[in-house]
Amino acid sequence: MDVVTPSRLENTGNAVYRIVVVTACALLIGLTVSLAAIAFVELVLWFNNVLLVSARTRVQFENTRWIIMSATLIVPVLGGLIVGALIFYLSPEKRPIGPPDVIKGVQLAHAPATLKGGITSTAASIISLGSGASVGQYGPLVYLGAMIGNLLSKLNLRIPNFPAIAMSCGVAAVISTAFNAPIAGLVFAHEVILRHYSMQSFAPTTVAAATGYVVANVVFEREALFLVDFGGVQFGHEFLLFAVLGLFSSAIAILFMQLTLKSAKIAGQTSIHPILRPACAGLAVGIAAIWLPDVMGVGRETLRFATIEGAFFPTELAVLIIAKIVLTALCIGFGFAGGVFSPALLIGILFGALSWTLIDATGFIATSGIVSYAICGMMAVASAVIGAPLTTILIVFELTRNYDLTVAAMVAVVFSNLVTYRAFGRSLFDVQLANRGVDLSLGRDRARLSTLHVSKLVSTHFGRCAPSDSTEEIYRDNAQEFEYIFVVDENKQLAGIVNIREHAENHRGPIASIMRPAALVFEHDTPLPEAMRALQDFAGDFIPVIDHESKILTGVVTESAIIKAYLDAVDGLRNEENASA
Amino acid sequence: MKKMRLPRLITFFLASLLTAASAAEEIITVVSWGGVYEQAQRRAIFAPFTKATGISVKSITYTGGIDTIKDRAEAEKWDVIDMIEDQAISACDIGLLEPISANHVTSADKSMPLDDDFMPNAFRECSVAQNIYSTVYAYDDRVFLGEKPETIADFFDLEKFPGKRALLKDPDVILEWALIAIGVPVGQVYDLLSTDRGLRLAFSKLDSIRDSIVWWSDVGDPGELLDSGTVVMSSGYNGRFFSAMQEEKMPITIVWDGQVINYDVWSIANSSAKKDIAKKFLQFATMPAQMASMAEFIPYGPTRKSALSRIGLHEKSGVPMRDHLPNSTKNVDRALFGDSLWYARTKSLRNQRFENWLNETQKPETKTE
Repeated sequence: MDVVTPSRLENTGNAVYRIVVVTACALLIGLTVSLAAIAFVELVLWFNNVLLVSARTRVQFENTRWIIMSATLIVPVLGGLIVGALIFYLSPEKRPIGPPDVIKGVQLAHAPATLKGGITSTAASIISLGSGASVGQYGPLVYLGAMIGNLLSKLNLRIPNFPAIAMSCGVAAVISTAFNAPIAGLVFAHEVILRHYSMQSFAPTTVAAATGYVVANVVFEREALFLVDFGGVQFGHEFLLFAVLGLFSSAIAILFMQLTLKSAKIAGQTSIHPILRPACAGLAVGIAAIWLPDVMGVGRETLRFATIEGAFFPTELAVLIIAKIVLTALCIGFGFAGGVFSPALLIGILFGALSWTLIDATGFIATSGIVSYAICGMMAVASAVIGAPLTTILIVFELTRNYDLTVAAMVAVVFSNLVTYRAFGRSLFDVQLANRGVDLSLGRDRARLSTLHVSKLVSTHFGRCAPSDSTEEIYRDNAQEFEYIFVVDENKQLAGIVNIREHAENHRGPIASIMRPAALVFEHDTPLPEAMRALQDFAGDFIPVIDHESKILTGVVTESAIIKAYLDAVDGLRNEENASA
Repeated sequence: MKKMRLPRLITFFLASLLTAASAAEEIITVVSWGGVYEQAQRRAIFAPFTKATGISVKSITYTGGIDTIKDRAEAEKWDVIDMIEDQAISACDIGLLEPISANHVTSADKSMPLDDDFMPNAFRECSVAQNIYSTVYAYDDRVFLGEKPETIADFFDLEKFPGKRALLKDPDVILEWALIAIGVPVGQVYDLLSTDRGLRLAFSKLDSIRDSIVWWSDVGDPGELLDSGTVVMSSGYNGRFFSAMQEEKMPITIVWDGQVINYDVWSIANSSAKKDIAKKFLQFATMPAQMASMAEFIPYGPTRKSALSRIGLHEKSGVPMRDHLPNSTKNVDRALFGDSLWYARTKSLRNQRFENWLNETQKPETKTE
């Protein structure tokens, strides 16, 4: 007979509690996030219509050209001023919040940003997109999802890793809603945000993604981002062309990301006041848009045109690609709030269309039309920028429901990512994070451990003395309590260490005469993994910890404390990655 | 029992009110489109109105257009005008029409409030939507015996379906069709047509059939052109095609793919001296019973939900009319809902581009002659 022990009963009870609560939370997050995402997108569209950014309203003023001209010039500048002021005065972070912050938040288990900074950034991105700045909407949406998830995780529900799960749910729901692509939403949350796979987070993100899909598709019947008719890839040799297109796309993606980083650097060095920076980028967009209206905003019409043969002349495509890369880098670097994904989609699809036009112009190679090349280019560039090959392949599949096209895109995406990973990094987000000191390139465990510093383990209870103190007195007063005495000079800096139980007995004279230099010293911000490595060659129990700048001795840390903290952190990560429910 | 009587009571009450108010003036001039459409209006609306109020209806036929209103409305004492919505918006913008409010020209059905009852954007500043009509194309059954045209792309496919095509000499609808034929999803047609690039693409698609186009201008023309064998396909209004099929037994088939649905509206001429009576006429004409009755004569869908359920069989052929309405579920799959405001505001631009394109077309012809 099987006797159910109280502890097993308790475990089962806990698991049931966790499953019910997490599922309910995922539903709630999915619902809230998808409604918020729809509101966000609608608001942007409304601004675009009112502010004469969208083609559909611009054309209605075609007879009064001066209205369109002045709107084109003034709207992005005014939008830039408002965004600049919002971020400068209201955001504690003093910058827009986006996917890198979400990744950091989930990986390091803390909030991605302050709530005030997050709300300000979201409002700023609605204005940026609404006034036609050349930025994307998915970055701000991803943050919006994570922000809502993070809000819910503040409830004390006694569920391990709940903040990371809740944020991932929000992100999955947002992508699912925005693209009408629940599977892509689910995969994006794992591939870009969570970066590990466990049933504990897989189940709720799936629920949230499905909820987002139901809200967007069934309740609101929203149309997909784009639909294409595609007959299929007709020639085997085309897959080779897709692979080559992928390779060239990675060059475009790297150029785009380098310029974006460079632009932010330049913006930081200029003497232009931060409030005015977005307006400068806005002016550039406005001036460019007088000749190239396609550069404004998300460019839905341009996305469509790129899949139509004969819509662009090759030179037009080339000019547009360059303009869009430069203006997006400028807008993001100079402080407009917005993402890089939509511009990357646009740049990629134009590049794909250009590539097809050139291939077709040679007249030697048979192709199955512009559509597959445009889509391959689009996904190859975009996936390299956000570092999400699987997600983008799935987006193609879910948006087009076309198997041939998905396989074609897959080939281009994989080659583009291979090169980009080697030559640049996993994604723009990862490189931005690395520049901020969070390096995810060696794995999430290293990144998480790197944020743990020895300062957390420091003990201030230790024996200390001045170099001139008498050894006899020090021995008499401290030998009972401490094994080691840390000798500190007049600047409060460490001069040396004495093992008083071994060396001070029967010794006369100043303690400085028997002290030895410390074999190992940590600074208070020495990361845990570095401390662990240093311990390998260290024989002893206590390690002095000094301040990074002033070099003042702030405390000591024991070897065992470091090992314990390290093991705890590794255990925590392992539990998170293997948690079942 | 009580519920059955209520609408009748209301009608009676309304009728007596109207009779009392209009004792002095006995005639109202209603301008409409002639043909089977006007015959249907006569039986579904005009005659019952006269019966209920004692006011007789004088009908005048026109072929639409804002200039026509400018030229004729005052001289011919037009009161109520049946208009295409985008023309009503343009006419309203330049003050040719009387501004009206929903409460004055319609009465709520007991089943739901006005706003829920009418289709979205049914009320504009100077007009109220009375029915929805659709521009479709029909082909001659006698010509295509094997494979039959099914899509808008087929309309532009001269290889698969050779022969002349008739189109209304107007940039409305044909530009939309050109983009749909290229593969643009209906949801994005107007966005793309709003760009120079979109217009260029649409006209270049039209170029591909330019030598096979026969232009029509009167709503009755498509039927005649098809019947006489002058063309093998023609654009036209679904109601006209329906009556040609049902009443004249013409061997044609309607292709619903890519149909462009628009509102037909009632409006009141600003020059009218009988605006109060005109408003009462509108109130009567937009009642669910009249709308449903209208749809039994000609398949233009009512703009009120409360009218939909009342629609029965076609009075002559006995076919269920709901299947032949533009908004019938089986027809609406790839329908494009015309954006009247966009139509009105972009008319001059599109006209200008259309004229330019027509002139381009004529050049090679004059050369060969």
